[in-house]
Amino acid sequence: MELDHGLVSLSPRLVSVLVGGGAAVLVLYPIAYLVQASLSVGDPQARPPEAYGLDNFMGLGRYAHIFGNTLLVAALATVLAVIVGFTMGWILSRTNVPGRAAFEQLMAMPYYVTPLMGALAWALIASPSSGFINQVWRALGGDGHVVDINTPWGIAWVMALFEGAVAFVMIGAVMKSMDPAMEEASQVLGAGRVRTMLRITLPLVLPGVLGAAVFVFAEMLGSFSAALVLGLPNRFYVVTTAMYQLVSQYPPRFPTAAAMGVSLFAVMFTMVWIYRRIVSSGTYVTITGKAFRPRVMDVGGLRWPFLGVCVAYLTVAVILPVLTITYASFQHLTTAFPRAANFTLANYRTALSLDAVGSALGNSLLLGLATASIGVLLMGFLSWLIYRSRLPGAGVIEYLLMFPQAVPRLVFAFGMLWAWLIFPIPIYGTLWLMLIAYLTVFLPLGLRTISGVILQIDRSLEESAQMCGATWGYRLRTVTMPLLKPGLIAAWLLLFIASVRELGASILLMGPKAKVITPAIVESWFSASTELTAAMALLQTLAVITALVLLFAVARRAVQHAGE
Amino acid sequence: MTEPEHNLDAHLGRRGPSPATACGARDTAVTRRGFLKTGALIAAAPLLADVPVASAQSPARNVTKVHDFQTSADVARAEQEGEVIYYGHDSEQGIAILLEAFRKDFPKIKSSYVRLQTGALYAKITAERSAGRFGVDVLQLSDISPAIDFQKKGGWEQYTSPEYAAYKPEYQSTPAGYFGVPGVGFSGISYNRAKVKPEQAPKTWKDINNPAFKDGISAKLATSGMQHAQWYILRKMYGNDFWQEFAKQRPKGFDARAQLFDRLAKGEDRICALAEYAGYTLYQEKGAEIEFVAPPEGMPAIAIYIGVVNKAPHPEAAKLFVDWALSKRGQLVYQNQKILLYGSLRPDAGPMPTGKRLADFKLLFPTDWSDYVASHPVFVKEWNSIMGL
Repeated sequence: MELDHGLVSLSPRLVSVLVGGGAAVLVLYPIAYLVQASLSVGDPQARPPEAYGLDNFMGLGRYAHIFGNTLLVAALATVLAVIVGFTMGWILSRTNVPGRAAFEQLMAMPYYVTPLMGALAWALIASPSSGFINQVWRALGGDGHVVDINTPWGIAWVMALFEGAVAFVMIGAVMKSMDPAMEEASQVLGAGRVRTMLRITLPLVLPGVLGAAVFVFAEMLGSFSAALVLGLPNRFYVVTTAMYQLVSQYPPRFPTAAAMGVSLFAVMFTMVWIYRRIVSSGTYVTITGKAFRPRVMDVGGLRWPFLGVCVAYLTVAVILPVLTITYASFQHLTTAFPRAANFTLANYRTALSLDAVGSALGNSLLLGLATASIGVLLMGFLSWLIYRSRLPGAGVIEYLLMFPQAVPRLVFAFGMLWAWLIFPIPIYGTLWLMLIAYLTVFLPLGLRTISGVILQIDRSLEESAQMCGATWGYRLRTVTMPLLKPGLIAAWLLLFIASVRELGASILLMGPKAKVITPAIVESWFSASTELTAAMALLQTLAVITALVLLFAVARRAVQHAGE
Repeated sequence: MTEPEHNLDAHLGRRGPSPATACGARDTAVTRRGFLKTGALIAAAPLLADVPVASAQSPARNVTKVHDFQTSADVARAEQEGEVIYYGHDSEQGIAILLEAFRKDFPKIKSSYVRLQTGALYAKITAERSAGRFGVDVLQLSDISPAIDFQKKGGWEQYTSPEYAAYKPEYQSTPAGYFGVPGVGFSGISYNRAKVKPEQAPKTWKDINNPAFKDGISAKLATSGMQHAQWYILRKMYGNDFWQEFAKQRPKGFDARAQLFDRLAKGEDRICALAEYAGYTLYQEKGAEIEFVAPPEGMPAIAIYIGVVNKAPHPEAAKLFVDWALSKRGQLVYQNQKILLYGSLRPDAGPMPTGKRLADFKLLFPTDWSDYVASHPVFVKEWNSIMGL
C-alpha cells in the first residue's frame, strides 16, 4: 500500500490488474459466446449448441465476393478518410488559415450528422434516377445520369465523409500536442512549408495517423448504414449487410454470421500488430520537459486555397447533406424541384408523437453522457496501463481490448445478449446493460484516441515527478492527465457522439423500457419513409448539438467559477 | 388501379379451376379457407403430441363485456397490473398507433414494446426465455413458422379468447387458444407510370419476367414471409424455372415495403414484383405516380399471428389486449389505420379505408402448410442467390 497525499491507495500493480482484467473480461465474456456460436453445427437456434465443428468457417468461401467487397470499400474509405483527416488536421492545427477556430468546431459536425443521415442525404443528391444532381442534369437537356452514388466508390465516399471524421479528431488531437520547435527548426534550416510538413510533421504524428488509420479501417469494416442504404440498390453486399440479412432471416443463421465475425478478428489482429510494430520501432515523443506553446505557421498566400479546402469539405460533408435532409423532412415525396403541394409538417408531427423521439432520445443523451464520462477515465487509465505501466501482459490487453472493433456490432450484440441474459445480476433490459455494452464496444475508440497522445509524452516527465517523490496516482493525476487533456477531450466528445448514434449493439439489447433513438430512426427508413427518417435524424442531430452546447457552456462556467 | 373481377367468395369454389390448375401445376386450390384449414390441420397434427396435456385444456373463465367486446380476462386485475408489454414486427409508427388505441380504451394500462423484424424478434424472445427471463405479455409474428415453433416450445399461453367465436376455426391455432389471426396482408405488382409505357405495363405474374424490366425491378429479401409465400405459390403455379428466369432480371432486394415503394415512386425502379397493397395505398396517397396491378391469377397473401405469452408478467392485461385486438373494435385499428391496413377475417368487419373488403380480392395461399414450412430453407437459399447474396 502506498500513501498518496493522505489517501490510502492500492498498489499500482493491483489496480492495473483489476482494471485491465476487468476490461478484458467485459470483452471476452461476450466473445466467448460468439466463438461458441461460430462453432455450432447443429440447430442454428439451439442454445447452447447441440454439436461443434468447423463447418461454418469452411462454408465461408461462398461469401468470398462479400469479403472482397468489404475490403475494397473499407480500404478506399480509409485512404480517403485519413487523407482528409490529416490534411484538415494539419491546416487547422498548424497553419494560420482564416477562421481556424470556427472551422475546428465545425469539423466535428460530420460526426454528428451520422452515417445514416449522410447516406440518405447522398442518396437523395446523387442516385442515378431521382438524385437531385441527375434530375437537374436531365432538366437541362442531359441524358441518363452524371453521378451514381450506388457504387463502391459512392459508398466509400459517404463512409469516409461521415465515419472518417473520427480520423480528423484523432490526428488533430495529436497535432495539437506537438511542440512546434521541431517544425520551426526545420524552417530555420531552409526547408519549405510543405517539405516541413512531409518530413517533420508527418513522421512525428505517425502514431496518431496510424492509430487513426487502423481505427478507421476497422470502423469501415464494421460500417453498416452507408452500405445498407447505398449498396443494396446495386446488389452490393458487405460483411455487415450480409450478416444483418443472415440474422434477420427466420431461422436466424447465427452460426454463419458469428463465423463471419470471428474471421474478421484475423484482419483486426493484423492491423493491431502492424500498428504496434510501427510505434515500437521509433520514438514519437514531442511533449518533453521543455515548455512550449502550440504555435501555428504563417503560410502566407496559401491561406486562401487552404480556406477553400476547408469550405469545400464542410460543404460536401455538412452543408449539402444537412440542407438536403432538412428539405426532405418537409416533403411528402422528395423531388429536386419544390412544389407547394408537396410541403408538409406531417413528418415532424409523426416523429414527435413517437416514443422513440421522446423518452428514447432522453435515454440516448443520458447514456452518451455516462459512457463518455466513465469511458474517458477507464480508457485513459487503460491507455496508460498499456503504454506506460510496464505491466507484464499489457500488450496482450491491447489485443483483447481491440476485439469489439473487429466484429460488427450487430453480431457482437448477440454475444452480449447471450452473455448478459444469464448474468445473475438483473440488468438485462435496463439502461445499465446498455451502458456496459457501450463501454465495451467503444473501448477501441477511446483507446486509440487517447493512446495516440500518450505516445507523444516523454516518459521523463513522469520519471521526474517520481524522482521528486510523487506516488503513481499523484503522477497520473498531476502530470500525465493534464498533458493528456486534448486527447481526453477529443475522446469524451467522440464517445458521447458515438454512444448517441450507436445502432448495432442497441438493436438487440434495448428493452421495452430502455430504448434509444438510433434503432428507431433506421427502422423508420425500413418501414416508413425517407422523409420521416429525415425528420427523426434531424431532431436527433439538433438534440445532440444542443446538449453539447449546453454541456460546454456549463463546463466553461464551472471552470471560470473555480478560477475566481 | 387495374384489378380483376374476382372476389374471395367467388373464388371459394364458385368458379372453375384456378389458373394454377389450368397451368398444369398441382392444384393449389388457392383459397384462404382451404389453405388455413388444410394447413393448420397438417401443421398442427404432429404438434399436438408436443403440447403438454395439462396446457391443452384451458380452464373455463367468466366472460364479461367491456366497451363493445367480450373478454375472459379479469379487467379489474388487468388494470391493477397496470401494464402490457408487447413484442411485435410492425413498424414503430404502426405499433405506436395500435398501443395508443388500446390505451385510450384502457387508460389505466400502460404499454411498452419492442419492435424487431420477425426473425430477430423471435431470436430475442427465445433467447430470453431460455435464460429464464419472462418479460413479454403479448407476441405478434408475421410468419407461421416461428408461431408454430413457439407453440412447440410451450411459449404461448393457451387462452381461448371469447372473440375467437367471430373467427372460423381454421383461423386459429390447433388446438385453439394459442394464437389467433388479427389480419391478412397481400401483394400484387406495382409500376411507375412515368417509367413504364402503358403497352409495357405488367398484367400477369409472368410479366415480371419481361426482359424490358431487367435492372429495374425490385422485390423483398429472404427475411420476408410475404416473399416466401410469393416464391412458393408462383413456383407451384409456373414451375421451378419461373424464378430462374426472374434471377436473370437482376432484381434488387430490400427489407421492407417502404423501401420498395420509395424507390418505385422516385423512379429508381420501374416495377416492384412484390407490391404490398398496404404500401401502395400509403404512397398513392402521397401523390406517387404508381399503379397497382392485381394479377388475374390471384395475389399471394400471408396472415399475422397474435397470442398471450406463457408466464407473462401481466397475464390479465395480456388476455385483455388479445381479446381487444381480435374484437371488432381492435380490428378497426388493424384494418383502418393505413400504416397497418391488414384485412380482417371477421365476417362482420367493414370495408378497408380504400372501400374494399378482403373478400373483394382474389388471394392465393399455399394449400399444404407443412410443405410450405418445409420449403423455407430451400427458399432462403434460392432467394439469397437470386438477390446476389
